[in-house]
Amino acid sequence: MNALAMEQRALLDALFIQTTDAASGNATNNIAAHAYYTGARGLKAYQNNAFSLAGSALQAAYPVMAQLLGEEAFALLARDLWRAHPPVRGDLAQWGAELGDWVQGHAQLAGEPFLGDVARVEWALHRAASAADLEPQPATFALLSTMEPDGLTLQLSSGTRVVSSAYPVASIVAAHLHGNPTLEVVGARLRAGEGESAVVWRQGFKPQVAPCSAAEADFVRALQSGASLLSALAQAGNLDFNPWLTSAVQNGLVLGARPLGNPWSEPS
Amino acid sequence: MPEATDRMSVGIGWRHPHYSELLQTRPAVGFLEVHSENFFAEGGAALEVLRQGRAHYPISLHGVGLSLGSAGGLDDWHLDQLQRLVDQIEPVRVSDHACFARGTFSAAGGQQPVHASDLLPVPFSTLALDVMCANVQRVQDRLKRPISVENLSAYIAWNSSNMTEPEFLASLAQRTGCGLLVDVNNIYVNALNDRLAGVNGDPVPRCMDWLDAMPPAAVTELHLAGHADCGDIVIDDHGSRVSDPVWSVYRHALTRFGAVATLIEWDTDVPALDVLLDEAAKAARVGQLALGQLAQVAV
Repeated sequence: MNALAMEQRALLDALFIQTTDAASGNATNNIAAHAYYTGARGLKAYQNNAFSLAGSALQAAYPVMAQLLGEEAFALLARDLWRAHPPVRGDLAQWGAELGDWVQGHAQLAGEPFLGDVARVEWALHRAASAADLEPQPATFALLSTMEPDGLTLQLSSGTRVVSSAYPVASIVAAHLHGNPTLEVVGARLRAGEGESAVVWRQGFKPQVAPCSAAEADFVRALQSGASLLSALAQAGNLDFNPWLTSAVQNGLVLGARPLGNPWSEPS
Repeated sequence: MPEATDRMSVGIGWRHPHYSELLQTRPAVGFLEVHSENFFAEGGAALEVLRQGRAHYPISLHGVGLSLGSAGGLDDWHLDQLQRLVDQIEPVRVSDHACFARGTFSAAGGQQPVHASDLLPVPFSTLALDVMCANVQRVQDRLKRPISVENLSAYIAWNSSNMTEPEFLASLAQRTGCGLLVDVNNIYVNALNDRLAGVNGDPVPRCMDWLDAMPPAAVTELHLAGHADCGDIVIDDHGSRVSDPVWSVYRHALTRFGAVATLIEWDTDVPALDVLLDEAAKAARVGQLALGQLAQVAV
């Protein structure tokens, strides 16, 4: 390792090693050996900026988690996550994917076991917002009457994901983002031990989330894995396909049909 | 003597609170500056907003994450995203900072990769210059165009520096053909922090000396912003109007560099769009006055 790499590691150690770790003091002493003047105050400025960025970046991706935890607790969580799972890309929108697993294993949050799945739904919404732009192509649905169902599949909206949970996660997220259902209804569902699968997709530029049945969840997952329409229907159990498709086309979850194995081609 | 012209372009940083208003009102500004990384998405609303902005204004893509000074080199993923964005937007300028952010830190299981998401200073050393030249050259080869590299506000300084910042940047430009983006506020913030650290001298003349050591032909853009004086340190927070001393240094920069595109940056506590436009108008007035005086001297 050359001298420049050592200097850079010394500064990154000073910024990222846990303050509770005994090594933190060594890291600060180490940077002091490489740098001078505003050293300690300068380090503090970089650390403050990092924690501020952590809070704002995480809040942008997880607005419901921020509401559920409150400003102060969420800022502390962001700080902890920053140090436990620091960013590795120069685009902060890429940071924070680990929050669901992180809160799931967080002892102080054990009393709110739904938070992990709420975070997973929010991350799916966050990713859907920046997914590739795909246009609906209604004319392609003619394939449903001209091709056998084992030779075609449905094209889902950009960023589609399904999160299945033992808790009413779609309702929790929708209540905090849109006020529907009400928090009273969500509370009753939580107390009743209701689980939900949440389907996340993008309608135009707007990320959407809705609860879905187990059959819908299985069907969407099968389509995502590249299954034919026939195979996906076989995996979906009792899905009532025709009304589901009508609704899915109206709300933008399904964009069209295409021959199995063919990529979705955007209209020129 | 730089050429005087009335075609000095003044732009503003275009941030989320002003996306809609700017597209609706389309004020007369020379260009819009955005942070490249905010538009690395494959699609979505933000990228569409940028495309709409591009339809009406030149765009300056200003990066904060390339980490041009990293001893470990560049992130291929980052370069891929930047190239895709440049291909789509066809910006008037592409720039980033003379800093590092990528590397590894010492974790319990060994070395952990990290991107610090900050503009961390590099020493002004021969070794750091070699590394930055190689990284800048790689970006330029990939984008097939020169980029511009900006001076930092730095809150630590390295013992291993063996040249001045202007010498470092001038060598970088000379060896790679890159442009230099001179942040006037950063020079002043560094001078204020030098004074806090016991360096004697009035900060404004020290800034002017700094500018006088830069190669005028390499300077492609000037940045203006506000800073925060915290008492024991001055922070380049881009959260207020440009201070009077920085306007003075800016006038000197124009007399040294001539008509150079100028950006008003405001990134924290972003004010009403009118405030930004007012600052841009002031930069244009200051520029016209400084360059007019320059023309008289040239005659």
